[in-house]
Parts: sequence; structure tokens; C-alpha cells
Amino acid sequence: MALVLKRTDMKELAQIYDRISMCTQCGNCKYGYEYGPTENFAAMLCPQGDKYQFEAYRGSKGKAALAKGLLSGMIQWSDKAAHVIYTCIGCGACVEMCETDIKDYLLRMFEALKSETWKQNVAIPEGVRKWSSTIRENRNPYLEKHENRLDWLPASIRETLPKKAEYIYFVGCTASYRQKNIALATVKLLQKLKVDFTVVPDEWCCASPLLRTGQYDVAKEFIEHNKELPEKYGASAFITTCAGCYRTLSIDYQKDPPEGYTDKFGKANFKVIHTIQLVEDMIKKGEIEFEGSFNNVVTYHDPCHLGRHAKVYDSPRNVLQAIPGLKLVEMYRSKKFSFCCGAGGGVRGGYPDYSIETAIKRVREAESTGASVITCVCPFCWRNLSDAISALKSSMKMMDITEILEPIVKKK
Amino acid sequence: MARGNKEVLAKLEQIVGPDYVSNEEAVLLPYSWDLTWAEPRMPDYVVMPKTVTEIQRILRLANHLRIPVIPYVNATNIGGLCIPEEGGIVMDLKRMDRIIKIDPETCYAIIEPGVSHAQLSATLKATNPQWEGYEFSKGFEFGWGVHPASASVLAMAINHGIGHLNGRIGINSQLISSMEVVLPTGEVVKLGSCAFSDSWHSFLPLPRMDGLFVGWMGTTGIVTKLGIWIFPIRPYKDVLTIAAETAHDMTRYMVHWRHYSLCDEVTAVSWWLAQIPIPYPYQEKPKDAPEWFSYTVISGWSEEELEYKRKMWKKVVEEERARGTKLIDFEYPPEAKRGRTELPSRIVGSTKNYSKSCGGGLAWPGTFAPCKSWPILYEKWKEIYIRHNLSPAVRFTDFQGAHYGMLRLMTPFDKRDPDSVRRAKEAMVECVRVGIPLGMLPYKPPVEYVNELNAAADAGYVYLMAKIKDMLDPNNIMNPGKLGIR
Ligand SMILES: Cc1cc2nc3c(=O)[nH]c(=O)nc-3n(C[C@H](O)[C@H](O)[C@H](O)COP(=O)(O)OP(=O)(O)OC[C@H]3O[C@@H](n4cnc5c(N)ncnc54)[C@H](O)[C@@H]3O)c2cc1C
Ligand code: SF4
Ligand code: SF4
Repeated sequence: MALVLKRTDMKELAQIYDRISMCTQCGNCKYGYEYGPTENFAAMLCPQGDKYQFEAYRGSKGKAALAKGLLSGMIQWSDKAAHVIYTCIGCGACVEMCETDIKDYLLRMFEALKSETWKQNVAIPEGVRKWSSTIRENRNPYLEKHENRLDWLPASIRETLPKKAEYIYFVGCTASYRQKNIALATVKLLQKLKVDFTVVPDEWCCASPLLRTGQYDVAKEFIEHNKELPEKYGASAFITTCAGCYRTLSIDYQKDPPEGYTDKFGKANFKVIHTIQLVEDMIKKGEIEFEGSFNNVVTYHDPCHLGRHAKVYDSPRNVLQAIPGLKLVEMYRSKKFSFCCGAGGGVRGGYPDYSIETAIKRVREAESTGASVITCVCPFCWRNLSDAISALKSSMKMMDITEILEPIVKKK
Repeated sequence: MARGNKEVLAKLEQIVGPDYVSNEEAVLLPYSWDLTWAEPRMPDYVVMPKTVTEIQRILRLANHLRIPVIPYVNATNIGGLCIPEEGGIVMDLKRMDRIIKIDPETCYAIIEPGVSHAQLSATLKATNPQWEGYEFSKGFEFGWGVHPASASVLAMAINHGIGHLNGRIGINSQLISSMEVVLPTGEVVKLGSCAFSDSWHSFLPLPRMDGLFVGWMGTTGIVTKLGIWIFPIRPYKDVLTIAAETAHDMTRYMVHWRHYSLCDEVTAVSWWLAQIPIPYPYQEKPKDAPEWFSYTVISGWSEEELEYKRKMWKKVVEEERARGTKLIDFEYPPEAKRGRTELPSRIVGSTKNYSKSCGGGLAWPGTFAPCKSWPILYEKWKEIYIRHNLSPAVRFTDFQGAHYGMLRLMTPFDKRDPDSVRRAKEAMVECVRVGIPLGMLPYKPPVEYVNELNAAADAGYVYLMAKIKDMLDPNNIMNPGKLGIR
């Protein structure tokens, strides 16, 4: 059987067809696995496959098949094809298992598939359509007004922030409009640690939701705008508390394909640092003193955008382990084999029930460790996991690491 | 786009629930092809049963309406065996993924079709309570192959799968101890000791009726539970390696070594298969590189036992050299050793070794052949492959005893290019054609190989096969087209 590229009009997909065609359909990506003297891991890692079961939904195999089927003209676009495409969270667990030359292009392929759906007459999930139709106006996907972006920031703190600073704290939409607790904990933490930072009123959505749902044209505006901010405020770097913003600003804005989108939006060149990396660095240099302890058993959820996508696994763990009284216990599925919270890739907005069901699976896994706290460094994961805790009436508590740190640290 | 018809869809939904049946093209597409050259064929429905009763009801419905049913777990069989030649219902068995029992005393496990190699190996490795403190406490193992870890253990075993213990205890279909099957007409039968008690330990001394479902590629029924023998993991292992200039010398050494029955496995690979990935298209071997590389895995309960096996192996090598067999010393890189001793492995258990960058195609003439025909067939296959601009990436693996073994030619090809697909297919079919008169038999054979087999077969063999098939599956609903006789 030959799969000849026929539909060159699907540009986003056609331009990576040479890589898509490297998929052998071996199905390695359908199950997480590692075996060796110290490893003995086997678990379902694909939330989409776990929910919808059929091959099309399991791991990258199904999506690669769909891309090949569409490009070779074997099948036509349909609402079901859109469903297969949009229920993939883009968590990247499958990528860890793939061993052929499609591997590095898988995340790009998921987004290219989504991008093509906007040109077809197919059922894009209503929730995604809704925020997409207003994001240009609001500069955030939460249907909130841009003017209210800094409402979370008490005037008393705002007054103390400099106009120009070494770092811009890039708050992100979720912490700005929903998980304000995290934004607040972060500014307080940064102030306690005497970091030279500011918060800017003209921060727009980093464009993560747009890129993850393949809306490249709209994303362009956002990226071009945000790119100018460091120079405008005399800053040398962005600090983020959001794993999604971190991935987008450091990878999508800056790296060449297949990881980033410099082919579409040009190359930005600034430093991006996650709060947790900053804290880790200061702990290593002996610049942080703990004034209290956190006497709880804690399990850490790896956000896909920080873990698998940006390969930051150790920093949060190193910080947690340095906190007096805190006992860190790992979930079976962790680090590169973590199980997604179910929020990303447009899924939380597009398929709320499936999204929360996925988060519930994760919270159950967290419960099984005996921990009383789930911690994480992503407001979006925070939100989904926290909703799952409520849905389950679980006794677990959701806390961002900044929330754990802020009350008990000071700069030496 | 939807396929099939609404009435059948509704009936299937009644059986398994609406979430586990689909007739939508976007969902059916991955069931229409596999890694091989086989032409894609769309099923009309896919259904994912969870219970034996659901399977019975689906088969009764399919019989009533004369709709083909194709058993499917992951379709990694490299033979197009799950491609619905005549459309119909793909029965995806992945939801039946229970490890029902592990009996550490009698050393067997009972598994459902959806249990993956990853799942079973991890569970077996962690199982061994009764031997705590003994050498046995490293857990259990089964014969692990080098396939994707998501592949089904049951589907592998019932299709004569080849695992890492094949040299010591035989191929995986020899390790099946009992089974439960739903016949094409919907009845449930138990075969082996489990037909008489709760013990799933053996078929013997009963008539081997399991043979009606082993090696039949899903054409005679749905195996719903399988008893398999499991073995305590031996704590001491080593990999010994040697190279040779010719297939003839390599075979002589392998057969000599096998006579002692001291290894878990002895395998040789041609230079082309030793490259990662296999060169595509054909690339000439550097003049100074040996043509054959082999490894043998030895294991034991103590360092002394291992040392004894090493000594015997060295003796074989020395004796062969004295007889004029040209053997060349070479060392496996540590990563490759790990891949051979820690199975099922991420290192070899993937397509990266075979078809990493060449365009998605992978197939093989995968065969069982008497050892003495290996060198003869290798030379023939090499000529065929070079003529088709393909690398002769051949593997010999000796099975238990020095009678016969695997002779396989792993072949990557470029699915973007119809000419590449055609050349690969032609070369492979030609290899099978020249091999059959020399005792070679393809395993998990694609339709094209089956046709070659049937053309060469004893008439009585084909007659009985057809008779059995008709008896078990009167309406020919089970994976039709795969046996080349109906
Ligand atoms: C890179 C690579 C390396 C490989 N190496 C090996 C190896 O070392 N050893 C080896 O043995 N194989 C190997 N294989 C082949 C294959 O992976 C195995 O045979 C595998 O176990 C098949 O599992 P599956 O889940 O893909 O089965 P499928 O391909 O889905 O099924 C195989 C056959 O069994 C039938 N079937 C499935 N379930 C049932 C059931 N319950 N009842 C009746 N019939 C059923 C199907 O109809 C089909 O005919 C390799 C494959 C690849 C891609
Ligand atoms: S995406 Fe990679 S792992 Fe998955 S089927 Fe394709 S080649 Fe195999
Ligand atoms: S990215 Fe995540 S949800 Fe999507 S196929 Fe891969 S593992 Fe599944």
C-alpha cells in the first residue's frame, strides 16, 4: 500500500508530511513502558485513549493515521475527525514512547491538524469557538475584559512595583482572571525574595491556547505584541508561574521547528525563567532562609508544558525537598511518564466533562500516595485538579508551590 | 462519514453500549491498514467488547447477518492479519485487559486478549511472594519478543510468537497451558485442564484441541482467556558475542552451540540488520566488516553456573575454529547487551531499529526453517534483495534443540512511494517462493505468502484445513480471506 501525498492544499500538514509518513503505525505510543534493573513501569498514559478507547484515540498512532488518511485522500474531513483531533490534549506522553523520525514532530502535527480544522466545515468544539471569537478583543480566553487584567493585584502592592525592572512577571491569563491566589502568592514571594521585578498592564495572553488549538493567524498578533515587552520595560527576562506561559515564551517564541514556531513568527530572544527555577537557584546559592515549616505529605503533579515539553522535572522537586517538614511522595506516573490533568489543548473549554474526568483519575492517583496535598506549578493544572478534588469531595488540598513557599521564606 | 448500516450499528450498540461501537470513517481508518504493504480495506464497524457474553452476542449477530468479524488487538503482527479483506466488524479486544490470575506455585498465569507485554511483564516482575529470600525472588517472566510493548501477549502466543526464552523452552505457543474460546457460532468452550477444574496448568494428556485455534490467525474463533506458563527470572545473565564472515560458518557455530542446550537464545544478524536503522535503500557493506554478528544469552542461578556455560561456549568456539570455521571476536556495546537481557525492552522493542526514517513501511518474510537451509537461503535472499535495491537484513534464531529456527528478513520500505512498496512486496514474495521447497514456512503469513504455501501444499493438508474451517465457521465469518481457501 502506498500513501501518496495528494492534498497539498492542507498546507500545515502537507509541509510536515515527510515526517508524518515516518510513523510505522507500530503503536509503541499507546502505552507507557520502561523496563530494566531499576525500572519496572507500565501504565496507560494517554488520557484520550483511556477515555475513548478506539485506536484513533490512542496515542499518536491514531492521529498520525488520520493525518495520513486525510493527506492521501483516503478519507474526508468530518465532525468525527474533528472529535479525534480535538480530544487529544497534546500532553505529549505518546511522544516519550515513539522511536521513529516522526517523534519530534508529533506535537506540531497535533496542532497542525487542529489548524486545518479551522479551514474545514467541521464541528470545532463550541467552547473553543466561543473564546476564540472574543480573544482578539479581550486579549484573554476567559471572556474577561482586558482592562480588568490586573484586578487581582492590590493597590498597596501595585504602588510598590517599579515601572522598569530586571524581570517582568508574566502573570498569564489563568492566574490573572481565575487563580488569583497564585498570582498574589507569586508577587508576595518575589517581593520577599527581593527580586527586581514588575507587572505590566499591557501583557496579553501568551498565545498558548491559540497555538495549542492551531489558530496561528490570531496567535501572530499576540506573539508580536508580547515580544516587545522586555525592551519596553527595560527587562532582561520574563518570570512565569504558569507552565503554559513558560513553554510558549521559551519554546514557541524562540525555538526553530519542530519544537517552536520561529518559522511563522520570527525568533524572539529573551530569557524566560519559571518561579520555581528562580527559587531553586536561590536555595542552591544559600540565599533563602525558611522561617517556618510545612508539615505535610505532598505529591507533585508534573504539568505537561513544564515537564515533558520543557524537560523541567527536577527544579520543583529540589525546591519541595528543601522545605522543612515537607515529605514528598511520588505518584506512580510521574516525570516523563506523568498523567495529564486533562485541561490542555483546548480540552477544558471544549469537552469539560472529559476534562474533569481525566483530572479525577489524576486526583485518585494522588490520593493513593497517602499525600494530603497535591502541588504543582501551573495555574491551569491547579484549576482542573482543584475542580476534580471538589467533584470527588476529596480531602486533598490543591496548592501551588508558591503558595507553600510564600508564608515561610525570606531572603537571607 | 459513516459506513455500514444503521440497523447493524444499533444492534451492536445494544450489545456493547454506544461508546464502544463506531461506524465513522475517522474512527475506522486506523483499522484499515498496518505496517505492511497490505492494501488498506475499511471495516464497516469497530466494536470493543468487555465480556465473553458480549463476544458471543456479536458473533451470533454476525453469523445471522453473514458479516465478517476480525479479531484485533494492536495489529502489530507484520502480516496484514487484521486488515478486513471483506469489510465487516473489527472486534478490538483491548478492553479485555485483565490478568485474571497468577499462580506462582504452578507457575502459570491466566490472561485476557488485551493484556499487553508491558502490563504482563511489569506485573510478573513484581510477583513472587512465596520465594522471598531465594534466588527465585526476582519475579517471573514469559517469552518476551522485541515488538512494541503495547502488543498483546495472547495474540502473540496463539500465533506462534517468538520470545527470548525460545532457545531454552521453545516458542510461545509451546508455553500455552489452557484456553477459553468463543467459537464462531457463539458457543464458549474450554480446552485443557481448565475444562475439568479451576487449574489452567496443562493441555496434556488430553487431545490437543487447542491446535484448532493456534496458528489460525483469528480465523477459527475468539480466544478469550489463555493460560500460559511463566518462569522464575534467573538472577545471573550474560551475553556472549561472536562474528563470522559467512552465513555458513555462523550456522555451523550456532548449531554446535545449540546441541548443548545451555543458552536461552542464540541469534545471528547480518551486517544490514546490525545497523540502526536498517539501511534503506540497499547499501554496500564495508569490505572490512564481518557479514554476520551473533549473540547468545546465557542465564543461571549462580555465578558458577554462568561460568560453566561461558566455559562450554568458549570450547565450542575453539573447536569450531579448529575445524576451520572462521569466527571473529567482537564485543556488543553495553546498550545492546542491556537490550538483550532486559526484555521486553524499550531498546530493541521498537521500530527504531528497523524503520526509523524510511517512510513508515515495515514487513518481513518471517519464517521457520531447518537450520541447514539457512546459509543456502541467505545467499538466495541476498541476491533477490540486492536486485530489488533492498538491504538483506536477515536474522537466524535457533529454537529449542538444533532442529529449526527463525529465518527472517526485516524489510523497511517507503510508503510514500508506490514503486518502493511494489519492490518490497515482490522481493518478499519471491523469498518465500524460493524458501518453501527448502523446508521454510512463513509465520503469521500475509495473504500473498498463504497463496504460495497453498500452491505448494499437500492436497490432504489443504483439504483438512478447509474441512476444519467449515466445521468451526460454517458461514466463513471469521477473518475471511486469510487462509486462502475460502
Ligand atoms: C517491530 C516489531 C517487532 C516484532 N517482533 C516480534 C517478536 O520478536 N516476536 C513475535 O512473536 N512477534 C513479533 N512481532 C509481531 C507482533 O508484534 C506480535 O505477534 C504481537 O504479539 C501481536 O500482538 P498484537 O496485539 O499486535 O496482535 P494483532 O496483530 O492484533 O493480532 C494478531 C493475530 O491474532 C488474531 N487475534 C488477535 N486476538 C485474537 C483472539 N483473542 N482470538 C483469536 N485471534 C486473535 C488477529 O486476528 C491476528 O490475526 C513484532 C512486530 C513488530 C512491529
Ligand atoms: S507515532 Fe511513533 S510510536 Fe506511535 S505508531 Fe507512529 S511510529 Fe509508532
Ligand atoms: S498527546 Fe496525550 S492525549 Fe494526545 S495522543 Fe498523545 S498521549 Fe494521547
